Amino acid sequence: MGGQGDFFQLLKDQGYEFSCRGNERGSVSATAYPLTTGTTVLALKYQDGVLVAGDRRATAGNLVMYDRTDKVLEIDRYSVLAIAGVPATAFEMARVLGHSFKYYRRSQLQDLSFEGKLRALSTLLKNNVPAALAGTGAVVPIFAGFDSEDGIGKIFFYDILGAEFEGVDYAVSGSGSSTIRGIMFYLNQWGAGPISEYSEEDALTLALRLLTSAAEFDSATGGVNTQAKLYPVVKRITAQGVQPFSVDRLKNLYTGKVAGHV
Amino acid sequence: MYEEPYRWVEAVANRRQYLDDQFTQGNPLIAVSCPQGILLLTVHRGTPKLYEIYDRIALGGMGHPADLEKLRFSLLDLAHVEGFQRSPSDVTASRLTKNGVAPVVKQAFEEIFRAPYIVKILLAEVGKVPEKDRIFTTNYDGLFEECSDVGILASRKSVEKALYDEWKKEKAPESLEVALERALRLWGLASLLQGSFPSEEVGDGEGSQKVESDRVSLPDEEAARQRIQEMLNKETLECVLLDRTVSIMETYRVLAGDELHVLLPAAFNLPLRP
Repeated sequence: MGGQGDFFQLLKDQGYEFSCRGNERGSVSATAYPLTTGTTVLALKYQDGVLVAGDRRATAGNLVMYDRTDKVLEIDRYSVLAIAGVPATAFEMARVLGHSFKYYRRSQLQDLSFEGKLRALSTLLKNNVPAALAGTGAVVPIFAGFDSEDGIGKIFFYDILGAEFEGVDYAVSGSGSSTIRGIMFYLNQWGAGPISEYSEEDALTLALRLLTSAAEFDSATGGVNTQAKLYPVVKRITAQGVQPFSVDRLKNLYTGKVAGHV
Repeated sequence: MYEEPYRWVEAVANRRQYLDDQFTQGNPLIAVSCPQGILLLTVHRGTPKLYEIYDRIALGGMGHPADLEKLRFSLLDLAHVEGFQRSPSDVTASRLTKNGVAPVVKQAFEEIFRAPYIVKILLAEVGKVPEKDRIFTTNYDGLFEECSDVGILASRKSVEKALYDEWKKEKAPESLEVALERALRLWGLASLLQGSFPSEEVGDGEGSQKVESDRVSLPDEEAARQRIQEMLNKETLECVLLDRTVSIMETYRVLAGDELHVLLPAAFNLPLRP
C-alpha cells in the first residue's frame, strides 16, 4: 500500500471513512436542517496563468453563518481547489487531497501528475455520492493548477458525481455562478479581447467585478465590505506556483475600478 | 542455546561487532543548524540518502538502502496519518524517533534470530527559530540522541563523539555558507575515520578480547580537505536544506547545480556533470 503512494488506501486501512453514508437509517434530511452552502467561485485563464477567486460568505438557509470563509484552498504548490457546496465535506476533501499529493510526492519521489490529481478528486467525489444525494454533502468544486508537464495552467470543474470537465477559458461554480457565467461568455466572445489575453491587473479587476455582480443578485454570495476590510480571496497560479493577492492590492483595485463607474 | 543469559549477551556483542564492520563501508552524514534552516549533507554512489518525511522534517540514513527504505515508508505512513488525523504541527521528529524508529530498530537488533536493521537514522526538524530546531540520531541498536544544532552519523559512536566535540569548539554558524563549509569539514574528518580503528587488548590470557578504543585522534586539516576534493571529483555530494524562511510547502529543498556551486567554499571545485 505504502509502496503505491496511495494515501487514501492508507487511511482506509487505519479505519478512516471519508463519506458519511446518507442512505442509512437515521440519516438526516437536508430539508429538516438547512446546511451551510451558497457561494460564487470562479477560475479564469489570463496571460500569466490561472486566476482563482471566491467570495467569503457561508450561509445556512437564509442565515449568514460566516463572512470570512476561505473557499480558494491551496492543495499544494501548484494547485488550488475552489469549493462550492457543503463546507464540512469540501474542507475534508481539500485535506485528503493535500495529504494525498504530498504523501505521493514524498513516497514515490516524484510529483503526482496533473491527471493523477484530477483523478484523485474525481474519486473523492464519487465516494461522496451517497452523502451528496442524501443532501448532506454535495460539493461542486473547481480544480485549477499548473501542469508542469505541458507548461500551462489548467482549469477543471466537476459535477457532484465526480465527472470532470475542462474549462478551456474559465469555469464557475456555486449559487451565484449563473449570474456571472453569461457575463464571462459575453466578454470572452465580444469584449475587447479574449480573457486569456488579459493582463494580471485586468484579470484581477474582472474577477472582483464578477464577484460583486454575483453578490448583487445572489443573497448567498458575500460582497466586498470595505469598512470591515472584507475582500474576496483571489490567488494566481503560474509556473512559480500559487500566490495569493494581498488585501492592499485588492483594496486599491476595488476602490479604483470596481466601486464606482470607471 | 541463547536461553542462557551469557550466550545471549555474547550473541548481541557479536552482532554489534558485525554491524560496526558494516558501517565502515558507509558514508557519514552531517546535519547542522544555521539561521536559514537545517543543512543536511552526505555523499552517495547512486542511491540517495536524504529524504523528505513531512512538512518540516527530513530523514537521513547511513547503511543498507533496503533497510533505510523500509523505515522511510513506515515513517511516511506514521507522519501523514498523524498529520491528517490530528494536525501537521503534531508531527514531530521527536515522536517519529521515539515511536517510529527507535523501538523497531531496537527490537530487530535484540531479536537475535532475526536480521537487524543495518541502518543509522537521522531525523531533522526545522523550527521557526534556530533554538527550536531538533536533530535526532538513532543508532543501529535503537539508542537515540537529541540535539538542537548538530547531528552526526559516522561509523562509530566514538567518532561521532569526537566530531561533536570538534563542532562545539566554535560558535553556531552565522550563514548557510559557513554551515556548509563546517559540515563539509566534519564530513571529511568522519570520512577519513570511517575504516581505521585502534583497538585495545582488554583482560589478559585466555579471557582477553579486543575492544574498540574510545580515543579518536582527528586527522589533520589538509588530509580532510583532500578527502573532500576527492569526493567531489568522484562521488555525488547530496545536500538538502530545510529552509525556515519560506512557506511550509517549500521547506524541504535539494541544493544542487548552480545554487550549490555558489555556496561551496572557494577552496573546492565542483566538477560539472553532464
